Amino acid sequence: MVTVTIDDKKVEVPAGTTVLNAARKGGIEIPTLCDHPQLTPYGGCRLCLVEVEGARTLQPSCTMPVSDNMVVHTDTPKTREARKFVLSMIFSERNHFCPYCQVSGGDCELQNAAYAEDMTHWPLQPNWQPYPVDASHPFIIIENNRCILCRRCVRACGELVGNFTLGIEERGSNSKLIADLGTPLGESSCIGCGTCVQVCPTGAMIDRWSAYQGRDTEVETTKTTCVGCSVGCGLDVLTRDNRLVRIEGDWDVEANKGLLCEIGRFDPMEEDRERILTPMVRKDGTLKAATWDDAYKAIASKLGEKKSIAGFISTRLPIESMYFFKQLFKDGLKAKTTTIVDGNSKSAMNLAAEASLAATYDDVKNADCVVVVDEDITKQHQVISFFVKRNLPNGSKLITVTNGEDGLDTFAHVTIKNDDLCEGIKSIENQAKAVEILKASDSSVIIFGGHAAECSDCGKVLIDLAKKYNAKLFNTYDGANGKAAAIFGLVEKVDLKDADAAYIAVGDEKVSQTFIKSFENTPFMVVQSSFNSSLTAKADVVLPSFTWLEQDGHYMNLDGKLTSAKAALNAPEGVAGNTAILKDVADKLGVKVKEDWQAAIQ
Amino acid sequence: MAKPKVASDWLCSCAGCHMSLLDIDERIVKLVELVDLRSTPITDLKHPDESGVDVGILEGGINNTYNEEVAKMMRKRAKILIALGDCAVFGGVPAMRNLFTIDETLQRAYVDTESTDSNGLIPNSPELATMTRVRALQEVVPVDIFIPGCPPDADIIFYALSELAQGRIPELKNENLMWN
Repeated sequence: MVTVTIDDKKVEVPAGTTVLNAARKGGIEIPTLCDHPQLTPYGGCRLCLVEVEGARTLQPSCTMPVSDNMVVHTDTPKTREARKFVLSMIFSERNHFCPYCQVSGGDCELQNAAYAEDMTHWPLQPNWQPYPVDASHPFIIIENNRCILCRRCVRACGELVGNFTLGIEERGSNSKLIADLGTPLGESSCIGCGTCVQVCPTGAMIDRWSAYQGRDTEVETTKTTCVGCSVGCGLDVLTRDNRLVRIEGDWDVEANKGLLCEIGRFDPMEEDRERILTPMVRKDGTLKAATWDDAYKAIASKLGEKKSIAGFISTRLPIESMYFFKQLFKDGLKAKTTTIVDGNSKSAMNLAAEASLAATYDDVKNADCVVVVDEDITKQHQVISFFVKRNLPNGSKLITVTNGEDGLDTFAHVTIKNDDLCEGIKSIENQAKAVEILKASDSSVIIFGGHAAECSDCGKVLIDLAKKYNAKLFNTYDGANGKAAAIFGLVEKVDLKDADAAYIAVGDEKVSQTFIKSFENTPFMVVQSSFNSSLTAKADVVLPSFTWLEQDGHYMNLDGKLTSAKAALNAPEGVAGNTAILKDVADKLGVKVKEDWQAAIQ
Repeated sequence: MAKPKVASDWLCSCAGCHMSLLDIDERIVKLVELVDLRSTPITDLKHPDESGVDVGILEGGINNTYNEEVAKMMRKRAKILIALGDCAVFGGVPAMRNLFTIDETLQRAYVDTESTDSNGLIPNSPELATMTRVRALQEVVPVDIFIPGCPPDADIIFYALSELAQGRIPELKNENLMWN
């Protein structure tokens, strides 16, 4: 431990701590711009300069490690003068027009830093050299005139996401942010995760969807969980006047620590489906608006008789909904039940027996070798791929086993391709290089999904592999609550040929045409959905339900942890919550349901 | 003691800062009890007194040689010069044309517009002022007080003027600087 005096305050910190972090520990905030708690310090902006007694010049506190008995002064005439000068130089380097910038008025760290120094003007004018604007990407605009070259976006794209798309070309005043080797962002290797936008301190990275929709002081923030997949990233959902403004990653949530993928951050912004605002019942061949009572009566009349029922539930619905669904359909009505997820009913392998081999997010984040089997994690569960890709420059190894093109192919050290996945998985041990890598690794993780999760033979091979090479297993269940669904047993094979009736709790999930077609011959369909679709058009009873942003509930992520989702928006009048609807249907059908989902999910 | 004399003018600007000044509403009655409002673009007198004024206020940046003359005259005749609004302080919206050449902007403004017929002509009367790069006021004359904003809030303008009227130099910081 080292003792350092900052602004006459004694602070004790571990050796190696930077002066900036030591000051923070002592409750002193030194102004910064290029610094970010999750990125390695860069020391480029020079705003954090402090006086260190005995040093020849002012020192950047973000990169300088403390030494024992160091004496630091952070707020002196010299440091204040230096900060004003640094800011003047930054403003003069590019073309900063505050009046029409979307972050002006409180959301710009550069503007706030200048106001904090009581700057009312620029001592130096810019040289007016125009910098280009890159508007080629569907979600992100790069406005180089506002860039302060802090490299936060470059570091985030590399260190946090592992994609390394962004970089800086040229030198001096010609330094410029580019994608790949100068490709327009929309044509580059950019995966649209938007981490760069979230991390940018100025208005240089523009989020097309939310620009000008509301400053931080004008929006409400709700902390909730993403239901794009089972990773369960923590979100800050920004809303204004009951309208979605922007989705950001919550920096404080352990699972994703602020990271989001395109599916979580931008897909929800493109919602343009038609909302269902009233229950509907089919009368004389056409769907007509009805009261909730009429709708429940119609359901009770058909499902009440001992019929063969098929039940489908979306994995985007919370555990509370799934528990009622299970008790009502699987237990109560003896229906065959499964999840929707792209219309494939997967019977996921239950690895509960091998719980000791289960990998946590931390295991994935710290793995020195990752084997990915039949799961393109650059398309789904993308944030897991961030954990994998970002370690590659540190020497970690990657082996993929797939039966087609995979987004990790260019990153992997060994790619095993086989149309027959069973063969492919069995052949891992025949690949000398793969075996060499596994032998040399101390903390390997095997990430698997799809076929490997369904086939018990493959499962056995993977378990043996894990035991032999001291690896952990990570099953990527499809759908936000895929894991909970598996625990509740909602993963049976359903054959609609024999079904007299089907109940489909779709929620706001987008279902495929294949799924919808499978109900061609189903005599009676009840669909619980937020949006109109060709599925609801086929139904006999339609029940309008909340979207994911409108409902409270719990989800289980791949870490086995429960995450909570909180409603960020109010649903329209007349629409009901998915959990409430399922409870009501149960009541109307005389099936008793319990509310103790916390015990049931263990 | 005579009331301090205040004069104002606008250069390359939209007049919005003067509109914001007028937004002090009925407080202007109180203000003119304390100061002697001399020339402004919206009152009768058009040039600051030759004998000098105590406070000169300039809105807008420098866009041509005429703006330069007005600015220099105001600086000469005013003891304290205020740059009012983003255009005067930074160059403002008109400064966006600095990213192009003057020829390009004249071509776009007079010849290539959507409503120009085939005979678009760039005005070239010798009596016209010569265009220059758009400059902040401080690039042409020394400025004493900067009030940024587009436009600055009426409350801030009133604060600055009432401080001056009471013989103090206004200090813009905290809520008076981050007013938005």
